[in-house]
Formats: sequence, structure tokens, C-alpha cells
Amino acid sequence: MKGVKIAKTPKISIDPVTVDIIEGALKNARFEMDAVLFRTAMSPVIREQHDEFPMLTDPQGRMIVGQFGSYISEMMQNFEQTLEAGDVILTSDPYQCGGAISHINDWLVLVPIFFEDELVGWASMFGHQMDAGGPLPGSLPTGAKTIYGEGIRIPPVKIFQKGKPDENILKLILNNVRMPEMNRADLMGIVAGCRAGEKRVLELCQRFGKDVYLATCQALLDRTHAAMAQLIVQNITEQPVSFEDWIDDDGLGHGPYKMKLTIWREGEHAYFDWSGTDPQAVGPVNFYLNEGMFKMFIGVYLIMVFDPQILFNDGFYPLLHVIIPDGSLLHPKFPSALGCRTHALTRLFDVLGGALARNAPELSTAAGYGTSPYMLYSGWDQKGAFFYVMEISYGGIPGRPVGDGMDGHSWWPLFENIPTEYLEAYYPLRVDGYTSITDSGGAGFHRGGNGIEKRYVYLEPGELSIHDDRWLTYPWGILGGKPGMRSEKILVRKGQGPQRLPSKCDEVQVQPGDMLIYRTAGGGGWKNPLDRPMERVESDVSKGLVSKEKAEQDYGVIVGDAKATERLRKKMRSRQKEEGVFDRGPALEKILENCRKETGLEPPVRQEPLPWAALESPEEARRRVREQGDRQTTLTE
Amino acid sequence: MTYRLGVDVGGTFTDLLLVNEETGDLARVKIPSTPGDPSQGVLAGIQRILEQNEVSPKSISHLMHGTTVATNAVLEGKGARVGLLTTQGFQQILHLARSQTPGPLAGWIIMIKPDPPAALEDTREIKERMSAQGEVVKPLDGRQVNSAVQELVDSGVESLTVSLINSFTNPSHEREIEKIIHQLYPGFPVTISSDVLPEIREYERTLTACMNSYVRPKVEGYIGSLEKALADLGMEGKFNILRSDAGLMSTDLTKENPIYAVLSGPAGGVAGALFIAQRAGYQDLLTFDMGGTSTDVALCQKGQATIARETELGYFRIKVPSVNVHSVGAGGGSIAHVPEITKALRVGPQSAGADPGPACYGKGGTEPTVTDANVVVGHLPPRLLGGEMKLAPEAAREAVKKIGDALGLDVDEAAQGILDIVNENMVGALRVVSVQRGYDPRDFALVAFGGAGPMHANAVARLIGCFPVLVPPSPGLLCATGDLVADFRDEFSRTFIRRIDTTSSDEILKVIQELGREAEDWMQREKIPKENQVLSFNADMRYYRQGYEIPIEITPQQLGESGTELLAEHFNQIHEQFYGFRMEGTPCEIVNLRAVGVGRVPKPHLPEGTLDKSSDASHAEIDEHEVYWQGKRVPTKIYDRSKLKPANQVSGPAIITEFDSTTVVLSGYRAQVDRQFNLLITPEEH
Repeated sequence: MKGVKIAKTPKISIDPVTVDIIEGALKNARFEMDAVLFRTAMSPVIREQHDEFPMLTDPQGRMIVGQFGSYISEMMQNFEQTLEAGDVILTSDPYQCGGAISHINDWLVLVPIFFEDELVGWASMFGHQMDAGGPLPGSLPTGAKTIYGEGIRIPPVKIFQKGKPDENILKLILNNVRMPEMNRADLMGIVAGCRAGEKRVLELCQRFGKDVYLATCQALLDRTHAAMAQLIVQNITEQPVSFEDWIDDDGLGHGPYKMKLTIWREGEHAYFDWSGTDPQAVGPVNFYLNEGMFKMFIGVYLIMVFDPQILFNDGFYPLLHVIIPDGSLLHPKFPSALGCRTHALTRLFDVLGGALARNAPELSTAAGYGTSPYMLYSGWDQKGAFFYVMEISYGGIPGRPVGDGMDGHSWWPLFENIPTEYLEAYYPLRVDGYTSITDSGGAGFHRGGNGIEKRYVYLEPGELSIHDDRWLTYPWGILGGKPGMRSEKILVRKGQGPQRLPSKCDEVQVQPGDMLIYRTAGGGGWKNPLDRPMERVESDVSKGLVSKEKAEQDYGVIVGDAKATERLRKKMRSRQKEEGVFDRGPALEKILENCRKETGLEPPVRQEPLPWAALESPEEARRRVREQGDRQTTLTE
Repeated sequence: MTYRLGVDVGGTFTDLLLVNEETGDLARVKIPSTPGDPSQGVLAGIQRILEQNEVSPKSISHLMHGTTVATNAVLEGKGARVGLLTTQGFQQILHLARSQTPGPLAGWIIMIKPDPPAALEDTREIKERMSAQGEVVKPLDGRQVNSAVQELVDSGVESLTVSLINSFTNPSHEREIEKIIHQLYPGFPVTISSDVLPEIREYERTLTACMNSYVRPKVEGYIGSLEKALADLGMEGKFNILRSDAGLMSTDLTKENPIYAVLSGPAGGVAGALFIAQRAGYQDLLTFDMGGTSTDVALCQKGQATIARETELGYFRIKVPSVNVHSVGAGGGSIAHVPEITKALRVGPQSAGADPGPACYGKGGTEPTVTDANVVVGHLPPRLLGGEMKLAPEAAREAVKKIGDALGLDVDEAAQGILDIVNENMVGALRVVSVQRGYDPRDFALVAFGGAGPMHANAVARLIGCFPVLVPPSPGLLCATGDLVADFRDEFSRTFIRRIDTTSSDEILKVIQELGREAEDWMQREKIPKENQVLSFNADMRYYRQGYEIPIEITPQQLGESGTELLAEHFNQIHEQFYGFRMEGTPCEIVNLRAVGVGRVPKPHLPEGTLDKSSDASHAEIDEHEVYWQGKRVPTKIYDRSKLKPANQVSGPAIITEFDSTTVVLSGYRAQVDRQFNLLITPEEH
């Protein structure tokens, strides 16, 4: 970053009303960024499913409003060019932005905001492109072994200079994707969204003065810092606690992969240590985890569990220290494949929740459907036109302290399903049914949400890809709640019997009339199902969400018979053993042993560490963080 | 001599405004609402206003009515039991919704999801299927429809919705089912999704249609009994209901599609506030309508209310055009309480309503309300409603004392605490519509109305900086004013998904001319004179494969002459203006075509006065009493608003009373009367 004057934040105090007004305006600007993109985007993944993330930062690149933590400092550290108003930077290379984006499908745009020649902040946004080139439509091949096998990798480059698009670079990039028109629309939508954010920040600088604006940004960061310091001291113990969970496989027959997190506190500083996590995978399930982003995850999670009133931004980053060993599943070495990182990304929240639950189980939730399941379908229609659709599916939300987990909802915020009518209007397929799966939610005082069953009937010859997890291990229940049911995929070829498909696969050929039954996992239950009021179990049965059999087996409820229910529950209670906090279903060895019998699929096998990607030892990783700090930094001149 | 009558039913009071169509003379009546059956209050009010002004029911040419019957049914969860018939495989369409959980990350942990308007138990799948291109994939099984309908009606559902996949492109299966239901149960209320919202996206269409069914029996019953009673009175004029977008529609249409009136009440307030504020010379305003149970606020800029194409009612996003109003459960009747665990002072959202009402009404209420706190501090003199209703200050003190005891405060301090908290809650609502949408409230005037608005407006404006505070004459009647000044409005649309390069201007013209005829027929049925009819057309357009449309104005003549290219160019321009870029070479697409009919209604002439010679207001002083202000009781003058003349000034602290409302002017502020008899409150200049 050459020749850039970063605005200094003055030390002045700001009256609380002004802080509120600027905060409100920034929050509004962030939603405006979303709105502009939704309204202009062509890909349903961005528009209908909202797989995109806006952010506004201060001059140092710290997020003031947004959904992810900031990554700008990592990205700009090695950016050697000049930077001026009207410039727009694009990247899709996870390895050149510290994992800010974690697969090449996410195209990240950065817009520096200059007020009177000084850098006062950044507007940034990234969105999931339907396709980013490479061997398979969707650019998420389950068989990729390096990032070269996934698609086009764009280093941080200027695509606009002083407001003018660089058509040469755009041509070069768009020449490598399958639907250049759509990528162009979505990219321009992202740029337009950032511009909307830029405009609002400039208006605020104009209206309140640059100094007041910047001091307010600092005040907003300080507010979160103070609140988070309190949350850490109240909710994290000095005594380390650990939790571990698995993602099932890497798409190449290896697995399961362990993710382990240990948490402790020193004063008001908290340590989050991923030592003990398995080495990186051969297949594309590695998740290049950005430390700043993980801090944001932690912050948001703590706030949601313990005090949802607190506003969050990057202000608390200095209080958290993240240890991620090099060469592990969560910090793979270049050029590991990264496309299908969504499983580890989701499991990270299960592990974080589980570790925090060690000290406060009553406030914690069970585990959910555990990934972002995808279905991709592409081919050439009768007229010879290329078609390709990708849909993200949802599943069972875990049982929670406030109530049941929702059936078939998204664990990731603000994502939405694609309307059936939209799918059918634009793609050669029909949705034969869309429902939640009876009994798939784990039993509990608060029931785990049911997984989803969507039946796709294909109308043109084409190819399918499937990405899912939790087909092997179970979404766990908590405090006596039962685990949720696992996911499965069944292909019913026209005129033939059903055939079980693996949870991660590509290039499955389909013909008109073939049907895919896509089933996602349920959520785990929360607390003892025998204590769930009988009327609620009966209501679930009459709604078709729980079967009579499960009502009896897991809840001890005989529908319509209170006396018999009381007797059965008494009997079941006397047999209930005092078990641990978590119910993961059968032990892992048992699951692997029964895999073929229960799922019809081969069990995954443990993978040997890769010779070129040595794993950093826990001691080394801890020493690195204590001596140099973690990899997350802020921008300086 | 003919008259128009505006009637607005609020949670606490029913307001009526009678205007002489020739002279513009106004008469008004305010009586307590009758929440059990709101039509009783309406009728009693109509009878009274006619008697008092010696007007015969036959002389009423138009009755315009804003009603909250539909809103309340949704918010209180007291709508009808709705049966839903949907396509096989989609029983859980409302249960799964759009699968969305709120932000930020982990927002699902605390999400509370309310029951949908049609329960899963009352949803039946119908064996049928239509393709997205409108072709029958699986024919309708009439026998199965028969048994599903009978099963639902026998089980006690009160209203039916038919919403099938892809019905927006071909509604024939929905129509067939409608016919079967009518044959089985003539007159049974049925909502057809493609009638209410003929647009793509099955969840939104189904939800909106089910919400229509949910509120329909209540609204139908209400309007039906009112119509009958009015006919019995001998009234022959037209009876219209205010829509959520502040246009008028007939009662027949309302009975079928009450969902269009789901924000009828608040829309009247916004229409009235805009009318009054524009007359006084203010184009940018925040409306502040504080009633007995809730406060509604909205932002209007450049003389226009913001209209949204969908509206949120609690968790539910309903797709009907609506004035963009934000509502909080804070009103004069809001009950103050101190929870055992936190020992914090909370106000609302529970309300004492109209019956028993606040303790000071002396109708048996014992819970301390905001109104009681106003009585205790002295903002509300002991006589209300032009002397018809006497207050019981002792009952108010007793009620508020309970709060004081729980908090260790004296009665005055407790009352002031209640007011501080409720004011802060209302400021929060104003922030949502201003600050959070990027507007600075200091650039707006605050128009205060509703029974309690003028009492709190000065304090609220002081917190958020929006001056002047404009208090119209008879502020409690502003919603009824809005009903009177609204124009007729209705939309006629059709989903017409065509890429611009695969259609022609002739094809488009054919559809919009049909829609235009529908609009004209409607205006004719509404008996709107030709010269007051305004017809306009627009097309919702987007680039091919985008998901959101921009409405683009169509002039049929221009389209005929210049063809579709001009339409495309117009869209390109607007897209660039909105989003900063255009997509040369990408075809654009039409999604919906729409005709909008507006029937202009002549506006009443409200009185205007001449400026008084001096600013002195002492001639309007009627009393003096003590008001609690910043820890002590301060002598405060009470003025009779009806005696104040344009140019008169009142310095705070002061209380200005009138027929239906009380305005509080705080110390450090002054109120001036303008030519239209509005009070304009501004900070005292130093």
C-alpha cells in the first residue's frame, strides 16, 4: 500500500447521542450494502440464499459493522501498489488474505474510503460465486487434492483504477468461468454494494466532521472491548476445558478428522487453542481459518449465549488469543485444496459450543445438522444451452435453552432457501416435495429440529454434485437430550430401485425422470425428554413431526393416555443411567464398525499425515503466539 | 347539503369527523372504543355526531373508515382457525418458511418463532401439479379435494386458503378448488393465493393469503354488521375502508381481501399528518401517534410517506403495499410494573386498554398507567374531554404509589420515572425510522397526535432534537382526518415473465390495456367521476436472472411509438441511477405488469384564521395549578386552546387543553399558534 495517508483518530470525547446516531447510520449502511447486492445479483446463492458478507471498517481495518471480523490488514500487508480514491481491489485467493475468504468461490472486494485525501476506512464485501472455473461446475470438486484443481485463483488486483474498470483484467478473469455474465453481474453488484457503504461513510464525515466520525468509531470499539472483558472474566475459567468432535470424511475415503479446542483464561485475556486437531486432509475439506474471523465467531457466540444485548465489532480482538497449529486441518499449507471447507467451518461452532458448555451446560445448546449441505446440477438442455444450479440446504437446529430447535432452518444467519417456483422457472428440474423428516430431531425436553427432505426430479440429462456431512457421526444431544438422526442421499433412477449415494460426490449422471432424495441431519435434543410435557409431545405427533413410536420410545408418552404415560415414564426414569453432559450416540469405533451395515457405504479410513505439510507441535504453536502474537494484526502506515 | 364522515377506531377512543362538502365546516365527536365489538362504538359515535349537528343519515355521501380490526387479530394471535390446501409434498410450506434465522451469527440461539397462521394439523396436500410454465403436470383430483375440504370444515376451521405451487403462472387448479368449496359450502370464506398476490415465490404468496384468511372472518363480520346497522339508520352513502398504503377501497373488496387493510389505522394517521403538515409548510416530518395502547411513528420526506411493498407484523413479512410505520407497545394505557427479580421499572407493553382503563378513569382500574403518571405530575388536569369525563386524581396517586413503594420513591418521583421510561421507549421507535435509516431527526418536524401524543411530544423532541413539534387542532382526530383526505387507490397486476427481446410492445400493450380496463371498471364501480380518475401503468423489470425488480413507468402511447427498446433503455438508466452500473448486452426482463387506479377525492377546506394583533395569550388563561418538574412543584398556567388565536405565544411550563387532548409545553420551550391553528413548539431563544 503505497502513498496512502491513514487518518489519525483524535482523542476527543463524543456525546452519547452522536455515538448512537453514527452507529445507527453505519448499521443502516451495512444493510444497504446487502440490499444493493441482493437487488442486482443474478446468482440465487447470493440473492436468494444470501451467501455474502458486507463490512465497514475504521482506517486501521478494524470492523465497525458487519458479520465477519476484519481481514483487511492481512490482505494489505503485502499489497505493493499505490491506492487512490475510486480504486477497487478484488481477490479470491485464500492464501493471500490470511484465510479471510476460505475458498476460491468467494470473491472479495475491497474499496478504500478516502476523505480529503486521507484513508478513513474500508468498505468490503465478498460473495459466493456460482462458478469460479476449474474442472467442475461450481468449482468445488470433492476430489481436488490441491487448490490448482479447484478453479481460477485471483490474487489481490485492482479491477478499478480511480473509478474506471480495468477491462483487460476483467476479461482475463471472466474468460475462466462458465457463466461470465452472471459472475460479472454479481461482481458489479458487490462493487455497487461497497460503493453504497463508501458513500454513507463519506456523508458521515461530511456531516459530523472527520474527527468526530473517527473518534466515534473508536468509542464503538471501546464499548465492545469493555463488555467483552466482562464476559470473558465471568464465563471462561482459568482452568482449561476441552472439547472435540469430528468431520466425517474428506470425499476421498479418508476420515474422520478430529477438531479439538481448549479454552482458558489469564486475567481478562482468553486463549483458544486448536492444538490436538488432526493434520490437514488430502481432500478439499481443509478450512483455512483466519484468526480475526475466529475471534469474531467467539465474540458473537459468547454474546448470544450470555448477553444478547451487547453490540459487537472488532473492539475486543486484543483480549483474545488464537492458537492454530500450522499444517493442521484449520491452517493447511499452500497449495492444499480448500473448496469444501463448509463442514469444518460448521463443526467449529459445535466444538466451540461444546467447550463453552463444559462450564455452563444449562446455557448451552446441543449440536445441529452440522454443515452447509449443497446440491449442484448442471448440463446442456435440448436447445444446447448450458444450465447449472447450486442450492444450499438446511436441517435441524439444536434443542436450545429457549425452546425446541427449528425444523429445517439455517444455522447460518439470514440464509434462505430458494423458492421452488424460482428453481422450476429457471432450471430443468421439479421439486416433488419439500418437508422436514419425522423423528429426525433428537428427543429432549426441548426437541432437536428435524432435518430436511427435498426431492428433486431432474428433467434434462446432467451431472450432480453433493456435499454434506454428519452421515457418519451424530449431532450430539446435551444434558440428557438424544442425538439427532444422520443425513443420507438416495438416488431413484427412473424405473429402478433406490441407490445410496455418498455424502460427498461429483459427476453423478442423471437422466430425465430420475429423482434425488436429499436428506439432511436433525439437531440434538436439550435435556431429558421424559420431562417434556405430554401435550407438547402429542402436539408434535399430531403435526407429523414426531411419530407415535418415537413418542413412546424416547419420550415415554402413550398418545391420548395420561395414566399409561405416567406409568411408562416412571419405569423409564428408574432405568435411566446418570450419563455425561453430551450424548454422541454409539462410540466412534462402533459407528465405524457398523458403517457398511447401517449406511451401505464404506467406512472412511484414517489418513497418514502429508509428507510436505508437517504439523506444528502444540508447544511450538503456543510459543509462537506468546512471543509474536497471533496472525491477526491491524494496519499501520 | 351533503357531508363526508371520517371514522377512526383506536384501541381506546373512537374518533369521528364530519365535514360539510360545500362549506368545509367540521364537527367532531370522540367516544370510548368498545373493544369487544368495535362497531358499537362506531354506531354510537355516528348517531351522536349526526344528532349533535342535526344532520340526517341520508345526507352522508361518503363514510371513510380506518380500522385496526385486522391488525389486532394478527398481533394478538386472535384470528380465525385457517385451513390450508396446498400442493402435494408441500404441507410444511409455512412451517419451514424461508428457513431463515436472524442475524448476527448464532442468532438462532435466541430466536422465537411464532405459530404460522395456518397450523400443520389444518393443512392438507392436494394431488395436483402445475409446471412453472403453467402446464398441468398432474391433473387435479376433484374427489380428493372434496374429502380434504370436508375434513377441514368438519374439524372446525373457519376460513380456507388455497395456495398451490406455480399458481401465479396458471391459477386454474386454484380456481377449480374454489369452485368445489363454493359448491360444498356456499358462502364459506376462501382466499385464493393468486388473487391476493399473483406473484412468484410460494412461501410469501401462501403466507399473505393465509394471513388474509386469518383476519377475514373478523373483518367480514365487523364490516357486515356495521353496514347493516348503517342501512337501518337510513344511510345510503358510500362506505369505504382505508388501505395500508393510505388509499381507499370499497367494503366489498375489504371483506374479500382484508389483508390490504392490515395497517389501515396507522395509514390514516400518516395521511392526516402529511395533509396538515404540508398546509403548515413542512415537507419533512416524523409522525408521532401516541394512543392508549401503542405508539406509531413514520418518516415522511418531501411530502411523501414511504411506501413499502411488504410489511412486517411481528415475525411475519406480509407482501402488501403499506405505509412504512413502526409501532411500539407504549401508550397512555401502558401499565407500569416492577418485576420481583430485577427491581427495574418497566412500562408496558401490557395495557389497561379502554376497559377498565387507567386508574384515574375511575372505572375500577387499579394498575398504574402512563396516564395516571401524567395525572400525578399535573400534566393532565382533572377534567377530560371537554368536561364530559371527570378524572379521579386520588385513584391515580394510589396506583402510582405502588410503584413508588416498590422502588423506594415518593409518588411524584415514581410518576416522573414512569414518564421518563415511556418517553425513552418512544424515542427508540423514532430512532428506528430515522437514525437507523440514515436520517437525522434534527432535520424533521415532529407531528404529534393521538390522544396522548401532544402530552409527550415536547419531552420526546427534547431527547431527539426534532423541532418544531407540530400539534394540529384536535390532535386526537388526525387519523379520522386522514381517512377524510385519502384518495381511492387500487392496483391491478399480472405476472408476465418475458425477456424483453422475446416480447413486443403489442403484447405488452394488450395486457396493460386489459389491466387498465379492470382499473377503469373498478373506478366506475366506485362511482369516481371521470375527471378525478388517474390511471398509470408500470412494469416490474430486472436484468434476466436477477431476482428483484424495479418498477418502471410505462406510457402506453410512448410504448406504442418507440417500442420495447425505449422501455429497456429506461430500465438501464434507472438501474444505473439506483445501483451505479448497467449491464450492456444483458437482456432485461419484465416480471409484472400493473395498472394503478387513483380516484381523487376533493379535500376538505379546513379553517384558517387571521393573525392576532399581539402574541399575548393571557386571554386564553383559564386556570393555574402545580406541576411536578425537576424535583419540585412549579406553578403552571393552564390555557384553553379554543381561545388561542394565530400568532399567540405561550411560554413553558404551560398546559394547553382542548376538547380531546392536552398539550404540555416544557420549561424552556414555547408554543406559537399558526394560521391553521396548529401549535408549533420550539426551544425558547436565548
